[in-house]
Amino acid sequence: MTEPASERSLAAELRRADPALSRFNPLDRILVHDDFNTGTHGWIELLGNYDGHGNLDTVDDHMRDFRPPQLSSCNFFDVGTHGAMSGTYALKVATRPLAGHTGVAIRRLTMAGRGRVQFEAYLTFKTEAASEENQAAGKAGAGPWDANLHPSEQQFGAFTIATDICDGVRYHCVARYLNTDVENGLRREWVYPTVPEPTPREHFEGKIKLPPTADFTAPDPGDWKPFGGPQELCYNEVPTKVNWHYVRWVIDTSTRSNVELQVNDTVHDMRDVPVPPYDEEYGSLQNLLNFYVSVRTHTDVRNFLYLDSVLISVDW
Amino acid sequence: MRESFTAVLERNRTLAGEFATEPYEAAWAAEARWFVRTLERTGTGTRMRVTTQVSPDGLHWCDLDAEREVAGDLASWESSGFGGWLRLKGTVEGGPDAGAEAAAKVMIYLALKS
Repeated sequence: MTEPASERSLAAELRRADPALSRFNPLDRILVHDDFNTGTHGWIELLGNYDGHGNLDTVDDHMRDFRPPQLSSCNFFDVGTHGAMSGTYALKVATRPLAGHTGVAIRRLTMAGRGRVQFEAYLTFKTEAASEENQAAGKAGAGPWDANLHPSEQQFGAFTIATDICDGVRYHCVARYLNTDVENGLRREWVYPTVPEPTPREHFEGKIKLPPTADFTAPDPGDWKPFGGPQELCYNEVPTKVNWHYVRWVIDTSTRSNVELQVNDTVHDMRDVPVPPYDEEYGSLQNLLNFYVSVRTHTDVRNFLYLDSVLISVDW
Repeated sequence: MRESFTAVLERNRTLAGEFATEPYEAAWAAEARWFVRTLERTGTGTRMRVTTQVSPDGLHWCDLDAEREVAGDLASWESSGFGGWLRLKGTVEGGPDAGAEAAAKVMIYLALKS
């Protein structure tokens, strides 16, 4: 995307001169620029819906415990405070040490137009280091260490970047990095769901009831399909080294479709990756534009997703 | 403007016997205050006792201060000098004549401020 300075706009030149923005490639209008040295910027735990009395017993079992995000200094047992890419703090989303548990942080916006929407982030993913208390070295996915590949890499399940959008029709654009399958075998590929996410209303209407550790985005592993080919990321050998990955994901809300996903030096064409809409209409959601990130463990070991910074831009 | 964040470490969760909350990173915060809302107690003479714990790494934990009893519908206390991580460990137990049903349904909040 590099173009000669003479062909760049003044706005582009000013962005390029700002170290915090020059690492991104925004569309015309920047909606969101989140640097987690200055708070959580509206990223908050997703929680299922509840009744008019505020009775949290009415929240769906599988949407009760997505865990509060943390402002993390990336602090580890061996090196102390690793710090983030920008300053000391990153946003951390953590699972419980329970196979199938998912941590989710969501950011809630609405749309003032239609067109391309781009989510950019510097992120990384890690598994909790082993300790006597967590017994991670003996949990599913663990294996031999060869001084290069670390067994903890096979104990990281998946992370997901996704949306919840409604323009009258509700739909989710979703991209998931499936590091391992549910048997803890390395997959290292991007996948998308072929079905829309089950909603609290579908449970309320008696259509579906999911257990606490169900995959809320699409519960059946068979409903996830790969796109773009395998892609190995930089876990970097042990659970306490943090290498930041550039992610740029473009969707188009004028066509309710995916466009492309760039992850470091690879651009995955997503124009043919389908976006399954809901058949039914939902009220109270006009112009909904939510982004969420999630992390899902496939073993009884905590998994973490870290966001150093996020930029969301649009062409409207 | 100072930064702040209230983390809900347990939400509408029923605790029984021994428990510990998930590790929570708080290195950025200068102040920390706990709130425990007890929504429901079951069993006879059920008592909830907690100890605030700290850690250098989120893996290894020691007590920050003495064990305290969480009584009433809403209890609160402050933690200071906590370093980078916080959690609560505790127990929910019945009285001498209680059966095995002693439990408490709680909300546990950690209110942090820079």
